[in-house]
Amino acid sequence: MTPAVEIKGLYKRYAGGVEALKGIDLVVGQGEFFGLLGPNGAGKTTTIGVTTGLVRITEGSVRVMGYDVVSQFRQARQLIGLAAQELNFDWFFSLWDLMILQAGYYGVPAKIARKNAERLLEEFGLSAKRDVKVRALSGGMKRRFQIARSLVHEPQLVIMDEPTAGVDVELRHMLWDYLRRLNKEGRTIILTTHYIEEAELLCERVAIIDNGRIIADGSPAQLMAGIKRDGLSITVEGWSDQAAAGLDGYDYTFKDGRLQIKVVQPERRLADIVTRIAGTGAVVHDVTIDHASLEDVFIELTGRRMDD
Amino acid sequence: MISTGFYTFVTRELKRFLSLYNQTLVPGLLTTVLYIVVFGKSLGSRIGDIKGHSYMEFIIPGLAMMNAITNAYSNSASSLFQAKIMQFLDDILITPLSGLEISLGYIIGGAARGFINGILVLVMGLLLTDISLSHPFLIVVELLVVSWAFGAVGLLVGIFAKTFDNIQLLVNFFLTPLVFLGGIFYSIDMLPPLWRNISLFNPLYYMINGLRYAVLDIADTSPVVSFLVSVAAAVIFTLAGAILFSRGYRIKE
Repeated sequence: MTPAVEIKGLYKRYAGGVEALKGIDLVVGQGEFFGLLGPNGAGKTTTIGVTTGLVRITEGSVRVMGYDVVSQFRQARQLIGLAAQELNFDWFFSLWDLMILQAGYYGVPAKIARKNAERLLEEFGLSAKRDVKVRALSGGMKRRFQIARSLVHEPQLVIMDEPTAGVDVELRHMLWDYLRRLNKEGRTIILTTHYIEEAELLCERVAIIDNGRIIADGSPAQLMAGIKRDGLSITVEGWSDQAAAGLDGYDYTFKDGRLQIKVVQPERRLADIVTRIAGTGAVVHDVTIDHASLEDVFIELTGRRMDD
Repeated sequence: MISTGFYTFVTRELKRFLSLYNQTLVPGLLTTVLYIVVFGKSLGSRIGDIKGHSYMEFIIPGLAMMNAITNAYSNSASSLFQAKIMQFLDDILITPLSGLEISLGYIIGGAARGFINGILVLVMGLLLTDISLSHPFLIVVELLVVSWAFGAVGLLVGIFAKTFDNIQLLVNFFLTPLVFLGGIFYSIDMLPPLWRNISLFNPLYYMINGLRYAVLDIADTSPVVSFLVSVAAAVIFTLAGAILFSRGYRIKE
């Protein structure tokens, strides 16, 4: 099947010499829920900008559903719905007019445009505001409207650039549910975010971008398993050489009454480990199951936190 | 064939200035009435007839052209610049519309506003004076072509502009002087030879006289030359604007 997005050898050098992208290769399959994860300034928005035609390519190529975004820009852009990070809107028109105009730019017939606009405004709780101008909306409403408008032409590839930045918890969950639903309907979703938990929760595949380069690409589970940070933390009273001998075969450390064991799938090994310790007469006080996060993956790969 | 996307964008440009008619249509009319009253009524009687027309009648085509030019320019320049500075131009750039289509959309918006303003001034002239329209078809063509040309100038300036002052700068230091020196209020025959020769290098002089011929059947220049200058300006500025926009100059990073 033709990939939803295929990026080959993508370089972007801005005027002034800043290299935002330094040779990106990336494939996003159709129907995937894909996360592009990285700290601010890593190159996420530039990658999206190139894909959507907002940023010129210095070198390399980007294809959307097989269409080159430069030479076949009409076909490529027809398939994309973008909700940009910044909340900037045409201030002359009402929400309704903006929905209809946006659909029109994509060639959607008026009748279908009206139907889609009505449905989306309803789904995003904006029907009552349809005749007001965007400047009269709250920040959360603007975000909802931006996402609703990006879907008015029924795009196959939905790109959300930091859609939950600065929104409250309730709206964040509403957007997550909506994006999951879109994905189930068969739309390819590309989500850029610097919220680790968002990528872990939603994306079936994640690429981590840093300093203009893709430094990791895989499912969250694969990436987290790769750094071997899963394990158990156990508080033990009465630790002895005998207890240590009982843990032969495990990668562990014991310090200040706390036992740290690195182990894959710690839930499955928990009973065995506790039994071995208890069998030596030591007392187990509490047990914590540790799982690696994508943040750990980022730290492992770059030596720093994502929000540094 | 005109695409739905292009049609929608042109509609957006037209709706924009029509919804702001208090700012885009009414001021030009008020200014025209003032010019006619102040210049036509008070000074006109002292100046007398020019080429068989009262002074008030003589200045009306020039006023119409001035209104058309400034409005066409302002519309496309401010529409594009606002979209750039408020960053909602991206909403257009991500669509399947080509750079040429977007450029033409801005120019058509400007041309429409310029044309309507020019026609409104002529209607005002018909109401306030005894003029009759000598060549109605030529009036429409001349106003359309010149409005188109300055819609394209507005597009160019909108592309280059970094601040609102840049847009106003061209009006203050370029358009207004050229319009006033283009013979709105006088015939070139009334100037000393040196200034008469300098005026021949002012393209607006030909445009104003082109419309004066179409309205009053009098002009200081050949109507054919006037028309050709207008068409040449429209073609040159349209090509320049469309090429720069399509290349993303100061539009895309």
